[in-house]
Amino acid sequence: MFSAVNTGGVRGMDAYPVRVEVDLSRGLPCFELVGSAGSEVKEARERVQIALKNEGVVLPVSKIIVNLSPADIRKEGTGYDLPIAAGLLACMDFFHASDFLHTAFLGELALNGEVRRVSGVLPIVIALKKEGIDTFLVPAENAGECAVVPGIRTIGIKSVRELLCYLKADEEERQKCFPAYIRERAGRVEENGKDFAQVCGQESVKRAAEVAAAGFHHLMLAGAPGTGKTMIAERIPDILPPMTEEEKLEVSGIYSIAGKLQTEGLMEKRPFLAPHHTVSPQAMAGGGRIPRPGLLSLAHRGILFLDEMPEFSSAVLEVLRQPMEEKKVHIDRSYASYTYPADFMLVCAMNPCPCGYFPDRNRCHCSPADIRRYLGRISGPILDRIDMITEAAPVAVKDLYEAREAESTAAIKLRVLGARERQQFRYRESPYRFNGELPGSEVKKYCQPSFDGQRFLEQMSEAGQISARAFHKILRLARTAADLEGREKIEQTHLAEAVCYNSGRRRFWKQMDM
Amino acid sequence: MQKIEEIQGQQPFAHWLNGVEGIGSVWARKLVEALGTPEEVYRASEKSLLAIAGSSRLAGLLAAQKQEVYKEYEEMEQAGIFFLPCYHPEYPKRLLQIPDSPFGIYVKGRLPRDNERSIAIVGARNCSAYGRYVADAFAKAFAKEGVSVVSGMARGIDGVAQGGALAAGGSTYAVLGCGVDICYPACHDALYGKICASGGVLSTYPPKTAPSPKHFPPRNRIISGLSDAVLVVEAKQKSGTLITVDMALEQGREVYAVPGRITDRLSDGCNRLLVQGAAVALSPAQMLKELSETVWRNDRQDEGITGCRNDGAANDGCLTGEGAAAEGINKQERALLSLLDFYPISMEQIYIMAQQEKILCVLALPQMMELLWQLVVKGFVVNEGGYYGLKKPVWQ
Repeated sequence: MFSAVNTGGVRGMDAYPVRVEVDLSRGLPCFELVGSAGSEVKEARERVQIALKNEGVVLPVSKIIVNLSPADIRKEGTGYDLPIAAGLLACMDFFHASDFLHTAFLGELALNGEVRRVSGVLPIVIALKKEGIDTFLVPAENAGECAVVPGIRTIGIKSVRELLCYLKADEEERQKCFPAYIRERAGRVEENGKDFAQVCGQESVKRAAEVAAAGFHHLMLAGAPGTGKTMIAERIPDILPPMTEEEKLEVSGIYSIAGKLQTEGLMEKRPFLAPHHTVSPQAMAGGGRIPRPGLLSLAHRGILFLDEMPEFSSAVLEVLRQPMEEKKVHIDRSYASYTYPADFMLVCAMNPCPCGYFPDRNRCHCSPADIRRYLGRISGPILDRIDMITEAAPVAVKDLYEAREAESTAAIKLRVLGARERQQFRYRESPYRFNGELPGSEVKKYCQPSFDGQRFLEQMSEAGQISARAFHKILRLARTAADLEGREKIEQTHLAEAVCYNSGRRRFWKQMDM
Repeated sequence: MQKIEEIQGQQPFAHWLNGVEGIGSVWARKLVEALGTPEEVYRASEKSLLAIAGSSRLAGLLAAQKQEVYKEYEEMEQAGIFFLPCYHPEYPKRLLQIPDSPFGIYVKGRLPRDNERSIAIVGARNCSAYGRYVADAFAKAFAKEGVSVVSGMARGIDGVAQGGALAAGGSTYAVLGCGVDICYPACHDALYGKICASGGVLSTYPPKTAPSPKHFPPRNRIISGLSDAVLVVEAKQKSGTLITVDMALEQGREVYAVPGRITDRLSDGCNRLLVQGAAVALSPAQMLKELSETVWRNDRQDEGITGCRNDGAANDGCLTGEGAAAEGINKQERALLSLLDFYPISMEQIYIMAQQEKILCVLALPQMMELLWQLVVKGFVVNEGGYYGLKKPVWQ
């Protein structure tokens, strides 16, 4: 007796369809699972057998063979429990597998017959939909993310008993008892109680955050301890332009694979990740025997915030190099290589010296060698990829009391959205989204300074203030500054501001002789 | 020993005697006086040494450290390093006058001539931008007047002053606390090369001697000993620089201190010196003028060296030369300049100050940045890696 049902698996970022083929035949009683099954997939035998028994279905004493096709791709994860159970039930004539050619099963079984959530549902559903499958039986907890995909019928299943009911029922009964899961549109944006209006002073840092958010530029905040660097960094996600539907699906897919997607379904907000400085390179890039997306990929289309950057191990910082260039992470294993997207905006914070008070010579006692060693922990290649460096100034307690009305997140976001629109329009026929993504070869095309601006740049270059290396960076930043102001031409003001954000870099390579 | 040839023949032995560990300048000199030449000291019997020293310790030290003297000396000469013992006619007369004058001195490059006017510029290693500016300005002014600068080539004030003197085409001498063939600190590699070429690197320690903390206080007495006056630019309350000052006072050299703000810890040492009676260094011109009326009074008559350039009362008492009036800047730029100082501050601090002082508060941040960079282009403001400070003093 043979039957087959549909399911899917994930490899790296890609999902692919899997057929679960089950056969019951005479012979020595056994239960074998074949088709490059990983260890947790093999364990499905025990889970399925016990779960069915506890729901009142006893497996026949016969030779049971389950094959996961295609058999040459290694299968990982626990989502195969439910399709195997369904396949067995079909073999035992509980229902006709031929009625369910356009249905896919996905889910993990508990020993008592409950169906538990699995990871990677979203990408699998997207992949299987392309194969013509229109009905998905997924764990109830995963129904939200499954229903994100339009044009399919999502059935949330809580237990094997429910599965049996569904399979045995006729179409009319199904419509009545198992209505397709309708996802609630998340209209509300969570209030996290954080607003730029709460940050006193630091106008120049807030302005830098605004420019960085508008153009998706990598930003470094330097300054003494307690100047609000972290406070500002935490508020940057709120002024970022919202994600497009396409971006939301992309990010949700990554979170789904990592098993971190919340029940609501889609990721509505741009991710903000702030790993502790003891993080390992593997956690950062992703990895493990079976690779999983790391923090760099989880920060895709969002912000990766590294507080106290020089405290991170150099191995971790060097991991950032390739993703910041290619916007992807490659992980190679002997049996396969994986590519995860990692297009994040890096925001990092650091003290200007080990004690944190440089250049205030009355408080800072660090020798130039100490400072050089401290700054030296951030290597040249990483520094090269950071577009903006800005300094936060110490805040007096008096200023906290007499705080003037600061600009709110909403007001800043309005300008950022304006700049976003200009960029969308400018890059409508090119693959870029933000000014920060422009490669050097395209800068000339999109970032043409005015006549005055060109003269200013020449003067700056003659004064030894900008290098050829920084030239493109400055033009990109100036482009964003002009976009924020709603200007098409890049003027001298915009360039001066861009040079300002670039000038902090000097501190790192300057032979500090003092 | 009178004849120069005789002295030259004795050089390898003099170098050997200077390098014997455990024997200081005083004993080296005594031994040579008693036995006639360093070679005699080298060949002296234990008995004769015992007769001079009165103990066997000296003889033991000398015997234990006898080595091939000629080879080592030749190697040294080939490296362009010379040794001048105190009885050599070229040995600086100024050093002979100081208490505990060294038995000999190693030179890479040249020594200051006896009639060469020289001033030591010393100060803190971790100095401020103010200190760096002052050291550079004074050194340049001295160099233009033909006054050479003596210092220790340390990080901070020392190095800046010597670099300034070289940049202005003057000569400068570095006294090291290690062998003259070693560049310490290593970050002054380029400076070391330049000083060797257009001045001299000096040390009382034989070549290949590694720097050691105990070497630095004694070398400070050479710095002050070779100079007519000592200028302290910046020093904390407890600073190695003050050792140089003590030595200078002991040797009868003039001591000048650059006054600083009483809130700056880096100026505590200088301000304290002023309280104790050190001369005030207000400008290179004032300092040179005072010195030419006291220390160098006789020089002018004897050798006809023109005294310091006296630019008249207008410039007396302030840094001259670069302190040009602010030309070619508009009202807004002038206002922004008034907020800046030698101490570099961040853009954020400039903005806060502008708000507090109600200066330029109509300007938004980007406009302020534009104004600032105009001043950088015009050379009034210097960018120190995201921190901005005055490049030149501006007399408004």
